[in-house]
Amino acid sequence: MAVEIVTGRGAYRLSAAAPIEYADTSLILTLAMERADGIERVVTRCRIARELVPDVPEPEEIIARLKDWIAREFETTREAALRSIRSERRLHEITFDQVNPGPF
Amino acid sequence: MSLQLIPPDIDVDFVGKRYFFVALSTLINLAAIFLLAFVGLNYGVDFAGGSVVQIRFDKPTTGDQIRHALASLQLGEITVQDFGAKGQNQFLVRFEKVKSIGSVGTRIEGALNENYGSSNQAHVLRVETVGAKVGHDLRVDGFLAVAVATIFMGTYIAWQFARVSWSFGAGAVIALIHDVLVVSGALVLSRLEFDLTTLAALLTVIGYSVHDTIIVSDRIREDAAKRRREPLESIMNRAINETLSRTILTSGTALTVLAALLALGGPILRPAAFTLFIGIITGTYSSIYIAAPVVLFWERGHRIKGTAARAA
Repeated sequence: MAVEIVTGRGAYRLSAAAPIEYADTSLILTLAMERADGIERVVTRCRIARELVPDVPEPEEIIARLKDWIAREFETTREAALRSIRSERRLHEITFDQVNPGPF
Repeated sequence: MSLQLIPPDIDVDFVGKRYFFVALSTLINLAAIFLLAFVGLNYGVDFAGGSVVQIRFDKPTTGDQIRHALASLQLGEITVQDFGAKGQNQFLVRFEKVKSIGSVGTRIEGALNENYGSSNQAHVLRVETVGAKVGHDLRVDGFLAVAVATIFMGTYIAWQFARVSWSFGAGAVIALIHDVLVVSGALVLSRLEFDLTTLAALLTVIGYSVHDTIIVSDRIREDAAKRRREPLESIMNRAINETLSRTILTSGTALTVLAALLALGGPILRPAAFTLFIGIITGTYSSIYIAAPVVLFWERGHRIKGTAARAA
């Protein structure tokens, strides 16, 4: 299920682009940010430390927590994600841990 | 003993070969105009309008398979380009006209996954769309940016050198037009994409070319004031030879960096790196073989103000 945020570039829908991946100390949500009219879509990875989230969270739960943070940091996040995909041909990764908990 | 790239007493007769090089440049420029008019630049999505979609597959696939899988979406003329290093399985899909752009990323992902099945999932990493009207407006604005930059640079140089001769401004403008045409022609031949980054590189070439022309013109002005009885042809040769070491070193170092960028910068930066690479070569060449001869042709039979120098 998609969650909508309003940004300086218009309304964007946040949704999970892939199932959550689990690593030893973190989990990774692949997040798609798509403009409501569909003219732009950019995907980024959010690596979240396991101690910040429940053991087996639903993607929607994480997106709901991320929503306000993404809306606030939208320009930086979008630019970094686009640059990484265009130039380095890999997904940009945002890390949330004890040092940088972000919205968690 | 210090290492000298260019001997200080070097005396190459650059100006004496001006007829050959002006004829050569004229031919190249005519060819570039022909290419621009009848083949055209390979405009990117910024200027042509349309959408570009970057897709990653779990396993290898081919452009033909992707095109076949997307046929049901009726996206019109589709270009599929293998993108990135081997093993990354990334592709760029471009198309120009879509009836309804809504959720195009999701629709493409759905069509691909339906066709490929779960064994080779497709992931749409990026969708960027520019409307045809915006693309056209950007193209007009881009052309204006290049034209205005050229005219203002020429006017500025003409004004700066007005006390010596207006011909320096004319020389700079003709050299700039020459450089823009050569680089544009090279871009048409290479079929590299012309997007906003390439336009920025073209504007940088204009700046570099003027910078190099000013160095040579300024030395001509200085030498003309010092050697009032010497023919202008000889003064120009001396000025070009005196600045040759600086010209080769600055262009050479810039070209070294650009060669690295061209080889290692990846597909996104390649058009801009190529534009700068060709632009710096032609900018250096035009300062010597285009700007200076124009001044010489202009001043034929006249005297540079404040000197007794005479055009040969």
